[in-house]
Amino acid sequence: MSRADVEACLREGHPDIEARMREPWSDLETDHATAFARQRDGAAFGIWVFLASEVLFFGALFLTYTAARLANQEAFAAAGRETNIVFGTLNTAILLTSSLTMAVASQAADKGLFRRLTLWCLAATAVFGLAFLVVKGFEYREDIEKHLVPGAHFALSQAPAQIFFGFYWLVTVVHAIHLSIGIALVTRLAVMGWRDVDFLKENPQVEVTALYWHLVDVVWIFLYPMLYLPGRSG
Amino acid sequence: MSTTASPTGLADPDELDLRLPVSYLADGHSVRSWLLTTDHKRIAILYAVTITLFFFIGGAAATLVRLELATPEADLLRADTYNKLFTLHGVVMVWFFLIPSIPNTLGNFLVPLMIGARDVAFPKLNLISWYLNVGGGSLAVAALLLGGVDTGWTFYVPYSTVFSNTWVSLTVLGVFTTGFSSIATGVNFIATIHLLRAPGMTWFRLPLFVWAMYTTSLMFVLATPVLAVTLLLVFAERTFGLPIFDPARGGDPILFQHLFWFYSHPAVYIMVLPAMGVVSELITCFARRKVFGYSFMVYALVAIAVIGFFTWGHHMFTSGMSPYAALVFSFLSFVVAVPSAIKVFNWTGTLYRGQVGFESPMLYALGFVGLFTLGGLTGLFLASIPVDVHVQDTYFVVAHFHYIMVGASVSAYFGGLHFWWPKITGRTYPETWARFAAILMFFGFNLTFFPQFIAGYLGMPRRYHAYPPEFQIWNVLSSAGAAVLAVAYLMPLGYLTWSLLFGERATNNPWDASGLEWRTTSPPPRQNFFGSPRIQGGPYNYHPEGVAPVHDQPRLPSRGSLT
Amino acid sequence: MSEEAESKSTETPGALWRRNLWVWAALMLLLALSTWAAYWPYGRIDTAVGFGIAGAKTALVALVFMQLKHASGLVRVVAACGLFWAAILFALTLADVLSRMANR
Repeated sequence: MSRADVEACLREGHPDIEARMREPWSDLETDHATAFARQRDGAAFGIWVFLASEVLFFGALFLTYTAARLANQEAFAAAGRETNIVFGTLNTAILLTSSLTMAVASQAADKGLFRRLTLWCLAATAVFGLAFLVVKGFEYREDIEKHLVPGAHFALSQAPAQIFFGFYWLVTVVHAIHLSIGIALVTRLAVMGWRDVDFLKENPQVEVTALYWHLVDVVWIFLYPMLYLPGRSG
Repeated sequence: MSTTASPTGLADPDELDLRLPVSYLADGHSVRSWLLTTDHKRIAILYAVTITLFFFIGGAAATLVRLELATPEADLLRADTYNKLFTLHGVVMVWFFLIPSIPNTLGNFLVPLMIGARDVAFPKLNLISWYLNVGGGSLAVAALLLGGVDTGWTFYVPYSTVFSNTWVSLTVLGVFTTGFSSIATGVNFIATIHLLRAPGMTWFRLPLFVWAMYTTSLMFVLATPVLAVTLLLVFAERTFGLPIFDPARGGDPILFQHLFWFYSHPAVYIMVLPAMGVVSELITCFARRKVFGYSFMVYALVAIAVIGFFTWGHHMFTSGMSPYAALVFSFLSFVVAVPSAIKVFNWTGTLYRGQVGFESPMLYALGFVGLFTLGGLTGLFLASIPVDVHVQDTYFVVAHFHYIMVGASVSAYFGGLHFWWPKITGRTYPETWARFAAILMFFGFNLTFFPQFIAGYLGMPRRYHAYPPEFQIWNVLSSAGAAVLAVAYLMPLGYLTWSLLFGERATNNPWDASGLEWRTTSPPPRQNFFGSPRIQGGPYNYHPEGVAPVHDQPRLPSRGSLT
Repeated sequence: MSEEAESKSTETPGALWRRNLWVWAALMLLLALSTWAAYWPYGRIDTAVGFGIAGAKTALVALVFMQLKHASGLVRVVAACGLFWAAILFALTLADVLSRMANR
């Protein structure tokens, strides 16, 4: 939704704009509608800058993986065969679907339409996120039973396979932490939106949360071929 | 002093003492009103207090190091205590003093004032950033109290992951936490400068200090996450036994150095770009000249911020990195010197035919230009592979980066502090003392670090508590200089505190400077300005466009008790 | 997209879903394809296909779900900066890693 749209629909009359203005945007020397639009732009811009920062965060992790895999291709193929592709694929499907519901929720809230749809989509997003964590939990249990934790009792003979699983554990846990933060943010929006009829309408927090959620999804999209697909054909 | 309407001003730079709202300092006196504030000016003060604390912790460690090095034998400290002290010095000074120094104190205070905004874009995030910084600092100091760390500030693997039996994990966690404080500040400044500029404040009317903060924020946002990951990997390998860099299992320790320096080389620019911004403001004001080549100053800042990301490999020439990659990094390191040189020439060009005054901030600024030039040129020595192989891990390197990080950055920080002190506190300080401290700092600094160039070139390695006796003369000179430098750093603590309590009230614009931040009261009110500022001209309006100052015109006297 | 031109009064839940569901369907197809492709006996080509598909999925999520397609120029520049700086990190580090491997 472009800024002109927001301004136009705001001018049609939302007496509660003033209540939603935050410092320092409320002091801008324009009418409330324009100032509110700039506040929304600011929130979206801020989260995008943060996401660029996250790209570097996960980019550095992926680079570590890439360099280690280039140097130890056979061990990585052998280690990649040990991960559970069923859990991995299922979780990828779950997260992609959660991104769909999140996108619908964000677009509906963006135009101030369909409060019930927004609420249901937010709830579904949070549930998909939890489902991902549950599947991941089962997968972790299986990994531990198969001795896939680096250390003295590691299952595979090739030493560099431990690097693969060192990366596996670190990156999936970091991803799960990001996802848990996402679930908390989405749940918060759903609860606030359920209590307060006007809360979700045009609230920049929905867009910000959605953008963060999609980034966590994108990270998993790359983790899928890194962790689950190597060595399947061999 | 004429009070004609200035193109950037609200109205009258002279103090109008009627109907003024209370200043931000008087707006609440409780502890709560400080610790829960969202006022960018108060958060700047909070940062100033904490970084001062960290500065003296790091300084104390350096003092002990210099005392030990006064004699060739190990008489004061054991080897392992010495290792912990230089690590503490490095960790605290880099992450808890230098990185936040100018951006989070002067930057927080001045960016909204300079662009005519009421506050930063996300005031709560700004406060959270301070708490993250304090939290990270507390973890690092806790590690110190529990027994210290001996890896050096670089945490090189495999020593930090496999061998060191000290509090590496806790320290690394502290630095990790404070990294997010940097990212939060970066996001905040970028959004503020993009979206909250006052009407008429176009990009090419921004003061160079704001440009410096903008480019620094870019580096905060794009470099710091890589440091966070690097330290997280060290933490995971130590704490959970997840091998990533372990050479025994096929890992690559050089990869750690790539990731670490991808952040830590730009971190040098995070320290020096803000300093360049401060110095640009100071030199124009005290030379009464428009800055020479404003647009090239801007392009140079952006160029340093971008090219600075391409050069990290020059820290790794002797690490076992591929010689082909080393050649590429060496070339790129020479490239980044070009915009730095442009800036030095432009500052010099600004002084040309200016009516140069030697007030204390200007003394710091001129000191900066000299020390930065020396530090930068020795950087070129180190960027060329043959010289670097000769002096790698010697005191030559130590001297080089102290010229940039201490000589340049800390001088600029003190210069900026003295320049904006009347605006920040509403008080003036004794100018004679300030000039004396500035000169003493310059001499003390050179006495401390110039001998280290020589000792390093002759082959004295860094990070040893004992050394062959032929190096003693250089170390005695250096330790003597450190004593002078310590006095020079303690003096401002004394007279600035005195000025807080007994200093004369400052006028709104004691230096007769042109920036927007001087067009409000000293100290400013909570909302920064009375009414909404509109900007009608470029920065540094010290004389009409295209006109050189008349040579024999007497220098305009500054008002107040500052001169 | 044509829906963008519609005024908000004609926006229906159906239109909202239609606009996003095809992306979800495409994502699922790509997921199935990449799982299948991993079992092809072509060695390195499998890996390339896997990451190529990941790139395609990311493009879909970023352009449609994250609305980068309709975002302001400023936001696009920010997204591009993230990718560009990650590219610097990858290119220069791998330049070293690969040339060391080639000379081993």
